[in-house]
Amino acid sequence: MRADKTVSKNTKENGYTTKRSTGESLVHFIKKLAGQWQLLILCIPALTLLIIFKYMPIYGILIAFKNYKASRGIWGSEWLDPIFQNFTRFFSGPDGWNVVWNTVKVGVVSLIFTYPAPIIFALLLNELRIRWYKRTVQTISYIPYFISAVVVVGMLAEFGSMNGLFNQLRGLVGLDPVNMNYGAAYFMGMYVGSAVWQGMGYGSIIYLSALSNVDTSLYDVANIDGANRWQKVKHICLPAILPTTMVLLILNTGNILSQDFTKILLMQNDSNRSALNVINTYVYYFGIEQGQFSYTTAVNLMVSVASFILVFGTNTIVRKISPENSLF
Amino acid sequence: MAMATAKKEKVNTKNKIYIGSRAFDVALIIFMVALSIVFIYPFINIIAISLSSNSMIGSGAVTWYPKEITTKGYEIVFGTSTLYRAYAHTLLYCVGFTLVNLSCTSMIAYSLTQSEFVLRKPVTIILLVTMFFSGGTVPTYLLVRSLGLLDTIWAMILPNAVAAYNVFVYRAFYKGISIELREAARIDGAGEFRILFGIYYPLCKPLFATFGLFSMVGMWNSFYDALLYIKDFNKQPIQLILRQMLFKVGGLSSAMGAAGNEIGSGVQSGALNPKNVQYATIVATIAPIMIIYPFLQKYFTQGMQVGAVKG
Repeated sequence: MRADKTVSKNTKENGYTTKRSTGESLVHFIKKLAGQWQLLILCIPALTLLIIFKYMPIYGILIAFKNYKASRGIWGSEWLDPIFQNFTRFFSGPDGWNVVWNTVKVGVVSLIFTYPAPIIFALLLNELRIRWYKRTVQTISYIPYFISAVVVVGMLAEFGSMNGLFNQLRGLVGLDPVNMNYGAAYFMGMYVGSAVWQGMGYGSIIYLSALSNVDTSLYDVANIDGANRWQKVKHICLPAILPTTMVLLILNTGNILSQDFTKILLMQNDSNRSALNVINTYVYYFGIEQGQFSYTTAVNLMVSVASFILVFGTNTIVRKISPENSLF
Repeated sequence: MAMATAKKEKVNTKNKIYIGSRAFDVALIIFMVALSIVFIYPFINIIAISLSSNSMIGSGAVTWYPKEITTKGYEIVFGTSTLYRAYAHTLLYCVGFTLVNLSCTSMIAYSLTQSEFVLRKPVTIILLVTMFFSGGTVPTYLLVRSLGLLDTIWAMILPNAVAAYNVFVYRAFYKGISIELREAARIDGAGEFRILFGIYYPLCKPLFATFGLFSMVGMWNSFYDALLYIKDFNKQPIQLILRQMLFKVGGLSSAMGAAGNEIGSGVQSGALNPKNVQYATIVATIAPIMIIYPFLQKYFTQGMQVGAVKG
């Protein structure tokens, strides 16, 4: 629209015809692109992969509204009637709201514990005055991050068993041993606890690097003013990491619905499967294992939309409160 | 007089602060020791159990060190072809994925750095869109299946080889390389390929090392893609096989192939605990990562900072 207006304005003023000027710019564009053919070639491998493996599946979302038959392809399959059948089926079924509630619950509880843990850990590390000791603790704290979900869940299964570590600890305070792997009662504690264990050290790196950028003369000034340690943390360290905490809050909030479902998938067994289903594990079971492709695509689409709204929502809020800390 | 008391008071409060601060230091040091134990104990416990006798494992007596040492589990794990085949396939997936990932990302990021590149905007938008929209598990699975990639290495490599976020981090890193260098090379008649491969690549070694190591470790640890795409047991990576050994009923002996019977009879006679074999495999799965951990640690702090440039 705007381009049309300027073109017509040009026509009036200069007497050039519209056709000639757009044609000219097209020729100019192609000439320029031909001169940059090397840059274009450098883009091609990545673009090809993106278009095939990221854009084609987006097109594939269409099957959420269709009765997908592999033999007829995505476009050839029939449209559903009513078209939102798969969506209404999810919420009218016995599992729908239960799965949504589980997903939100796991996401929110995880956020509450895994988000502040690295911040507190970084602030505490920053207070350690013996350098080599600080570095040693840091090195040790990163190790769990590099362990796979399979191994972590294997460890949880061991420690939650009748004579495992967790029950030995329960024994210390006089509690009877329980098999924590059976049923869903201990799931949340083990899931969130292991997430904190894995992510705390590694997550602290970004805060520590923000803290290391603090001008040391600020501490000297604070010392002269007689500030105690808590005051120094409050007035120097916290403001230093504030931008980072904001950005990570946005990112983490956006991830609420896409928690580490592979870990949940591994923690599920016959005694707790239905109680522990979150949306992504539900999609795996009904989609990949049972082949209900259209239905699970619809369920997955709802999560994508909700996540998208969450990211933009938190970002909008942050932008209103402190514009310089928002992500986009 | 008044001044003297004021001074005294000041010294007193200073002392108080000093003592309080010291006490805090000591408490903090103790707390950090405890925390370090929490980080490290699970590994020690798993190793100790893998090396302990059946009766000791059964009574839950194994904590810090192995009791009644037996290496039976390791003998079985390292004596069958399952582990070596899993190692080989995992390594293949790791190296393949990393090579494709690094080459595609480093090339497209270079084009995006050139402000005069006429397709810079559209390509950036194509990348950005993938950060916010995705087709989801099922459409991607159906695509991979219809391309005939199931049970091939390509299913492990191609779908996630290009991540928009990485491209933007690379671009941020490239922007730190001085433009004069490029202009000088151009005046000498070098094309874009020469500039990228001859000048940029050597300068980007730390970037490639960081991202290369990370994608290697990420692939080593992942099991979900393999769960979706690799149904053939003989091509499965180590995490998927470990999953079968740990969590599937009867999965242990079926995974170990020829040694399955040995495990069965060992467990029956009480000479072997299934955990000996299972946890020996856990150790074998973690060991390669622990070997490269010193290199990882050297690079990932840098990597985080490179990443922070973008944020």
